[in-house]
Amino acid sequence: MLELRGITKRFGSVVANDGIDLDVPPGSLHAVLGENGAGKSTLMKILSGFLSPDAGRIRLDGREVPTGSPRAALQAGIGMLHQDPLVCLPFTALDNFVLGRRGRIDRAAARREFGELCARLDFDIDPDVRARALSVGERQQLEIVRLLSLGVKVLILDEPTSGISSEQRTKLFAALRTLAADGLIVLFVSHKLEEVEELCDRVTVIRSGKVVGERTLPCPADELVELMFGEVVVSSERPVVEIGSPALRVGGLAAGGGRQRIADVSMEVRAGEVVGLAGLEGSGQRTLLRVLAGLEPVRSGTVEIAGRRVDGSSYEHFVAAGVHYLPAGRLEEGLVPGLTIAEHLTLAARLPEWVVDWEAARIRAEEAIEHFRIKGGPDTPADALSGGNQQRLLLAMMPKDLRVLLMEHPTRGLDIESADYVWSRLLARRESGTAIVFSSADLDELVGYADRVVVFFSGRVLADLAAAELTADRLGTLIGGKVAS
Amino acid sequence: MKRALRAVPAVWSVLAALVVSVGLLALAGAPPFEALVLVLDGAVGDGGRMADTLMSWVPLTLASAGLVVTFVAGLWNIGVEGQVIAGAIGATWAARTIPGDGLVVIPAALAVGVVAGAVWALAAGVLKTRGGVNEIFGGLGLGFVAQSVATYLIIGPWKRAGIASTSGTEPFREEVWLPTVGGTRLSPVAVLLAVAVIFLVWALLRGTRFGLRLKAVGANPASARLLGVPTEATVLRAFALGGGLAGLAGAVLATGIQHKLVPAIAGGRGFLAILVVLLAAYRIVWVAPIALFFAILSVGSAQLQLRLDLDSSIGGVLQGILVLFVILIGGWQALYRRGEP
Amino acid sequence: MTRAKKTWPALVALVALVLAACGGNGATETPETPETQAPETTAEPFVFGMILVGPQDDRGWSQAHFEGGKYVEEKMGAQMIVIDKVNPADRPDTSVEQVVDQMVEQGAQLIFATSDDMKDGILAAAKAYPDVPMIWSSGDSAWDIGKAYAGLPNLGNIMGQMEYGKMMAGCAAALKTETGSIGYLGPLINDETRRLTNSAYLGARYCYENYRGLNPDDLTFSVNWIGFWFNIPGVTLDPTQVTNDFFDGGADVVISGIDTTEALVRAGQRSAAGEKVWAVPYDYRGACAEAPEVCLGVPYFNWGPSYLEVARSVADGTFEATFQWVGPDWSDINNPDTSAIGFEFGEGLGDARADLEDFIAGLASGEIDLWVGPLNYQDGTPFLAAGEKATDLQIWYMPQLLEGMIGASSAE
Repeated sequence: MLELRGITKRFGSVVANDGIDLDVPPGSLHAVLGENGAGKSTLMKILSGFLSPDAGRIRLDGREVPTGSPRAALQAGIGMLHQDPLVCLPFTALDNFVLGRRGRIDRAAARREFGELCARLDFDIDPDVRARALSVGERQQLEIVRLLSLGVKVLILDEPTSGISSEQRTKLFAALRTLAADGLIVLFVSHKLEEVEELCDRVTVIRSGKVVGERTLPCPADELVELMFGEVVVSSERPVVEIGSPALRVGGLAAGGGRQRIADVSMEVRAGEVVGLAGLEGSGQRTLLRVLAGLEPVRSGTVEIAGRRVDGSSYEHFVAAGVHYLPAGRLEEGLVPGLTIAEHLTLAARLPEWVVDWEAARIRAEEAIEHFRIKGGPDTPADALSGGNQQRLLLAMMPKDLRVLLMEHPTRGLDIESADYVWSRLLARRESGTAIVFSSADLDELVGYADRVVVFFSGRVLADLAAAELTADRLGTLIGGKVAS
Repeated sequence: MKRALRAVPAVWSVLAALVVSVGLLALAGAPPFEALVLVLDGAVGDGGRMADTLMSWVPLTLASAGLVVTFVAGLWNIGVEGQVIAGAIGATWAARTIPGDGLVVIPAALAVGVVAGAVWALAAGVLKTRGGVNEIFGGLGLGFVAQSVATYLIIGPWKRAGIASTSGTEPFREEVWLPTVGGTRLSPVAVLLAVAVIFLVWALLRGTRFGLRLKAVGANPASARLLGVPTEATVLRAFALGGGLAGLAGAVLATGIQHKLVPAIAGGRGFLAILVVLLAAYRIVWVAPIALFFAILSVGSAQLQLRLDLDSSIGGVLQGILVLFVILIGGWQALYRRGEP
Repeated sequence: MTRAKKTWPALVALVALVLAACGGNGATETPETPETQAPETTAEPFVFGMILVGPQDDRGWSQAHFEGGKYVEEKMGAQMIVIDKVNPADRPDTSVEQVVDQMVEQGAQLIFATSDDMKDGILAAAKAYPDVPMIWSSGDSAWDIGKAYAGLPNLGNIMGQMEYGKMMAGCAAALKTETGSIGYLGPLINDETRRLTNSAYLGARYCYENYRGLNPDDLTFSVNWIGFWFNIPGVTLDPTQVTNDFFDGGADVVISGIDTTEALVRAGQRSAAGEKVWAVPYDYRGACAEAPEVCLGVPYFNWGPSYLEVARSVADGTFEATFQWVGPDWSDINNPDTSAIGFEFGEGLGDARADLEDFIAGLASGEIDLWVGPLNYQDGTPFLAAGEKATDLQIWYMPQLLEGMIGASSAE
């Protein structure tokens, strides 16, 4: 029996795990489901010892598991299969298999054990082949048998199906069922509904660092979607918008690479219109926003701002054309840690002066603090502000006249009051003809504030729908990649 | 890491290093306190010694001030040593070729030194922004190149008549030496330059748009770019300014201290400057006292051999202990703050 | 900025500590009892300074001077203040002038600056302290007919006639070489090094012809200069590497002209790996100890007697700044009290020792004089006509290597 009690972990002002309790009996195939950023990975890293929790305890079969040490977790019987398997590429499969063992290593016995484990799980790995020559799926298999040989009783798999073939996925799932049947605890971390439904017998859903529900599978998909994304309340009251001429037009756009790739994206956004970008994180929304901001090159296709081609231009050119981008990672790409509010506003004001007039800067900062209701002073460093106040500072730094405002998760991590405030400021922008494009993981936000919602899946536009046509069910299933019909 | 360094680990490190040094000196059979007093006395005991210490302080301070500029901009400008050498080469060229008296040649030599250092640093900057070469490797590589160029010039085109030795060029004519005062080797011009540079860098970082941009680029280039900071231009300007100050250090070494070009003209000051700036946690006001501390140690440690007959490497050992403690205490502070490894 | 304000008191405290230490020093500044003082002397000892360019235990040039100083301490009951590694690479903040300041302040009555590299510094220091006698060893600033006569009344020169030592070194190499190829590991190029390298070549030619009965024109004698008196990584060529190149290129004996013992050490290592190679170190009598079995002997300086003589002249007020080019005591070149240069035979010499002894006897008697024409410079221009003997000036200031030698005579 695996028991987690009150697991809490903060990163700065963000609470990634907030008092999580979890009980998993032996022989379970247990899913941990949640949107990206919900806190699943943090929880699993705590469980496997890669992070130490701020509070909380872990017990396995009644025995306390020391936290904060991967080795201690492994000794206690908890092993984790990472998204990118921790395999030493120049070594052979067998070398990898015995890696991490202590004392003298009996290679003949190890070879026998390796063969037996592989046979039991129907894996087919040549022990003498170099790990470099193995596919990602085979490396996973190798890592699983290695963890088993070290005696794990809990096997954690973090998004194991990204990057492996469907054949290998089938094999992996079969192996996991075998292991569970033998009494092992399998913790399967995913944001993919279908897989969870296919493999697991019970699921715990995490949202915003909290356990929001547990269900025995099978259970209706809608129910899980609602747990994942929160209750979807479609706002009936829509502000009257005066839609103007096209502010932004994208045609046949391809950009980015790898998992961030987007292809064949075409859309049009008119002045005063608000368009929401929906989809699982990493489906292409971020790449599109960055391309539209002039931060990433276009591979093919066109981008027009107010009828003028801008693709291929510099970021500064996009800025001059009236584009502004508010990224999600506020301290990563938006604010500068260590610089104060006054310093931020001075930079953002883009004044031509050589010597900074700090007196004027302070006055400017005080005005902005009052106007945007930021909790802080002119000399408060940005990294000392709460998330909501950081977002307010970003709003305060927005230029006055904008054609296109691009935003990534504009209210992520904000309390309701802050989120409302932010949106009231943003929507006010529409009146001066600003077109708004934003991505969000919050269905409520998408449906509530957008005029249209564009759904992304695997770097492509899956659907482009008027918000009025949308229901929570429809959006939820679309996001999961299931095209209705 | 940068945040952790902000809490000037210098004081504790120096104190801890002193304690360990006392112990080591005792082990080496020397009277430890007397030895430390001798070092101090050898560095500041009388006017002449203070003059020597100040003249050692000037180039170290100049190079460190330049390094503060690049470090604030988040650039690991490890190639300072090469920039100092480039500055010395430039100043030597001016001192050897420009005709006229000191009033003309000395300012010209210092200016050429600044330009040479700036060009050398800009090369590392362009390699970084355009070539994708990390400035650490670019800087180190260019440092070797500068060293080789200096050696080549000394043994080749600028050799003494009939001699091929790396010992140095012919001394400059005396009128282009930095003028000194009071029968000591103290050059007021050099000291004034160093003080002025400290003030200028302080004012630059504190009160100018450029200084603000440097800080923004240093703390978060992605955000700075979104905020409209021309990151590449800012990076290159930081390199040019930092290299220019290192070049000035080299020019002072050539015209004010060695009075000729020697291959080892930088004498490791470029690397020592890195230590000074790390100890100072990138803050310019701390650079002056910390550089002074190193100058005292460097000038005064000759006394350990002259008076106590201790092995001459003891000064280096003391310096090494200091480095160790800075890193150690900086690391502890970082650990303490994050609360976990 | 707020944090900076908090740390200022700490800085003030640090400065206070420094100042307190300085203040304390004033009170305790009594001259320490010199540990090296000879027990029998009770009066204030004679104090002299010794400035070395390399480490005092380099088994080469600097150690030879250090031993010379020790000799003076012992014979006079004098006290030596020594500082080593005075060069910009090792001590960027210590110049010759600075060291002289401090030595004078510590009561030095005579100062030895023992490197060619200290020329600029010691000339400046001698001008700054006209009342303190100084010696610039190996220099020519006091030679009234020399090219660099400075006319400073307190700066003299002392140099051993190492030409003889180098002739012996060259002879030893020629007696031993089986490949007929000798490498000369040169330091930098100047008058002194050309003179000594040429001497080694003359010795080698003579012995190759007269003891081995071989044609001296078939003898390969290559010189490679590293650029300074000792290895400075990144600045000079690496002497170990140069030595390797010599051996790889067919030489089986390397004669060292630098301050340190890399050639001998490398030869020892290669010999241990089964090669038949030898080396001739330089400067210090005990140098062969680094690899005795491959050492053919070492021409060395014995500075003690000359330094003692100068020290005594300063002590009794008869010092004069003269140029002294001191030769061996031909009755016993290894007499530590009389001979300025000597040659210590090495184990590697084996049976060839008799021939070398015969050669030395020839030099001693004057029967063998190698500075006699016809001799040409490297570029073929005549140096000495047939039968012409070289003057001291000609020997001291040789502008080129000699005809038949391979290597650079000057830069480029």
